[in-house]
Amino acid sequence: MTSATSPNPAPVFDIRALTYVTHVDDNLCCPICQSPLVEPFTTSCRHTFCSECITNALKASKTCPVDRTPLDTKNINMAPVVLANLVNDLTVLCPNHRDGLGCTATLPRGNVEGHLKEDCLYVTVACPGCEEKIMRKDLQDDVCVHVEEECSYCSGMHRKLDMKEHETVCPGLTTPCKFCGNECPRPQIPNHEAICDEAIVSCDAASVGCPWHGLRKESTDHSTSCPLMHIRPLLEENNSRLANLEHENKLLRRRLELSLVARAQTDIAESMDDQTIRVLTEQEHIRSDLERLYVSMQEMDIKQNMLSMHMSDNMRTKEEVAMIGAAVNNLRTQLHGLQLLMFRRQGLDQNGSGGARPTGASSQAGDNSVLGHARRMSDMPSGDRVKL
Amino acid sequence: MANLPKRIIKETQRLTEEPVPGINAVPHEDNLRYFDVSIHGPSQSPYEGGIFRLELFLPEDYPMCPPKIRFLTKIYHPNIDRLGRICLDVLKSNWSPALQIRTILLSIQALLGAPNPDDPLANDVAQKWKEDEKTAIETARQWTRTHAMS
Repeated sequence: MTSATSPNPAPVFDIRALTYVTHVDDNLCCPICQSPLVEPFTTSCRHTFCSECITNALKASKTCPVDRTPLDTKNINMAPVVLANLVNDLTVLCPNHRDGLGCTATLPRGNVEGHLKEDCLYVTVACPGCEEKIMRKDLQDDVCVHVEEECSYCSGMHRKLDMKEHETVCPGLTTPCKFCGNECPRPQIPNHEAICDEAIVSCDAASVGCPWHGLRKESTDHSTSCPLMHIRPLLEENNSRLANLEHENKLLRRRLELSLVARAQTDIAESMDDQTIRVLTEQEHIRSDLERLYVSMQEMDIKQNMLSMHMSDNMRTKEEVAMIGAAVNNLRTQLHGLQLLMFRRQGLDQNGSGGARPTGASSQAGDNSVLGHARRMSDMPSGDRVKL
Repeated sequence: MANLPKRIIKETQRLTEEPVPGINAVPHEDNLRYFDVSIHGPSQSPYEGGIFRLELFLPEDYPMCPPKIRFLTKIYHPNIDRLGRICLDVLKSNWSPALQIRTILLSIQALLGAPNPDDPLANDVAQKWKEDEKTAIETARQWTRTHAMS
């Protein structure tokens, strides 16, 4: 199943995973693995299996897997050569056909091992220069493909391995134009295609509905005969006017919507009922009443201030009256003292001359009246005080 | 899929492309060795009309050892126990690597059509089968209606 490993080791491949190109008769398949027989062996009871399959089966049970005849390894022998040749001649795809590796070879199953060992380009082998793994298809003259070298067209440095891929895009090379087939330097391809006579173009009037497609060199002829080309300026002008009108229409519509909204709001205001108006009037009245109340409150405040001023004036007057009363008392005491002094002097005078008595009496009466008057005067403040 | 032997891939393909009438086996997407199986009860048997669900698992060394199969639907049968385990020689000592999923499922379908109370797994059922076969078959029919026809 596996191939030799040197000098270029071929990969191990699963022979039962091979894809057969044609349908394989069930009689050529092993009853155990159900794949086309691999190294067929036949039992003494004449059933045939792959050598690997029957060996494993006998490890599990010493009977024939098909008819349960007792068997041992000594009861199995290589199948006839004709059978081995039949299965080895079945056509298969190269195992590297799968996984996108891309070998397209179809070959007899018996040749697969040799193909992988010698020919298949999609087998990994060692690079002759540096031992890195590369595919056989990338081998070049027994030299290392990982060394960079100069591209002979663009002077860029690339690995030998990548050179072929580089050449497909190298700017130093020409490429045939996909329209006219003329070789053209790669960087100039876009410029060339823009003027290439063989390029497929559409009519200049395609924007106004001309379906014509054709070679660029024929487009001039078409243009002269294309009716849409003649009316194209007119159509384009109309189109632009239409676009302007649509734009304007949109603006007007928006403005109209706005004014409709405003109008609706006015209508709502007008449709307010009498009750609302009454409530509003009432509210106005209440507001003016409140203002009047406020004004009168302010007046009251002023009056109260004036009253408290009067009160303090009163207090001051009272204090003054009290002070005057005190002064009067003081004066009365002094007057009393003076009267005593006068009485004493009169007494001294009467002791000196009796003739002078009536005068003294009258003067005493006069003094008394003065005294009584003074007493009444001094009583006055106290009477006032009570009254106050 | 990478470690799945070519034989299992082939068997699965063939089960899908050429299904056996009355037998359906579908592998799980996340485990291609695990199959959901359903078997129609054979006609002329007390299991007729029922659809019996089973689980089937292919062990690592399949086909050198037999697949593991168990009934999931309750069934009244002398060779199938309460847990759904099946007494069938080809699933045990008489397994052969030349047998396949489809042949094993056909054997199980045949076992439903031909109960064998002399090699029982469910002793009470086998006993009943031997003593009063008519009643046993009626019970099997009743169980089929109850468990395999919903």
